[in-house]
Amino acid sequence: MLLLTMKRLRLDKRGISNVIVVMLSLVLVVIIVSNVISTSYQMNQFDWERMQENVEIVNVAKTIEGTILTLQNKGSVTVHLVSLWIDNTTSHQRYDMDLYVNAGDSANYTLSDMALVDNASIVKVITERGTISVFNASWQNP
Amino acid sequence: MRTFFKIFGNKRAITPVLSSLLLTVVAVAAMAIATSATYVITTNLRETISERVIVEDVWFNNYTNSIDIYVRNVGQVTVYISAIFVNHTSQSFPSPFTLEIEDHQWLNISQNWIPNSSYYVDVLTTRGTHVAAYYEAP
Repeated sequence: MLLLTMKRLRLDKRGISNVIVVMLSLVLVVIIVSNVISTSYQMNQFDWERMQENVEIVNVAKTIEGTILTLQNKGSVTVHLVSLWIDNTTSHQRYDMDLYVNAGDSANYTLSDMALVDNASIVKVITERGTISVFNASWQNP
Repeated sequence: MRTFFKIFGNKRAITPVLSSLLLTVVAVAAMAIATSATYVITTNLRETISERVIVEDVWFNNYTNSIDIYVRNVGQVTVYISAIFVNHTSQSFPSPFTLEIEDHQWLNISQNWIPNSSYYVDVLTTRGTHVAAYYEAP
């Protein structure tokens, strides 16, 4: 009985094309869904890490060697600082920066070539993920 | 010679062969279209999801009497700026304005501004991402 059924199924070719179409469609759907989910997961991870970033400019001191920024990473992820801004009423000056600060660590960043002005300025640092930290500085001569 | 005439002279069973061939062509074309559509849709979705732009700085420039916006691409795809609105009014800017991955540059808008006024600056990309915030002129 079983053998007969098996033989009948093996010989019956009807409905094969439907199965092939369904399988191919399934492959396409799986590719679409997995691709989108993978990208979405990566960007969620990026946004989550960005939310965890909390870098603070603790102090900006003007010394003979230059301007020293004291930075503290109060977040739970390592931050990569890429930009530094010194803004005042007359100019908005951007400096390239390349500084990594581990979670919980503090770091000093010295700018020897910075064109300083003796009035109130806004100092900003920007991380690679796009977080901005602002410090209102009142410049004093050393 | 006889075999040749026998094969090419015999017209029987041509229709099933042709129909099978036609069906194969149609099936392959349909799958190619489906695959292309899938690729396009997936790429568009991925790019839209991966787009991240920030405004690093806004400078109400006294010298040029303009609003200068410094933008940075922090996402994973190239960004194309399609429009800029200041207080919900579209502004002209150097177009096309493209930002590669990790690229950053000034975007200058010729717009008169009044000191001590607030301005709502909205940067719009071609994929529909908005980066908007209020900025106060000095």
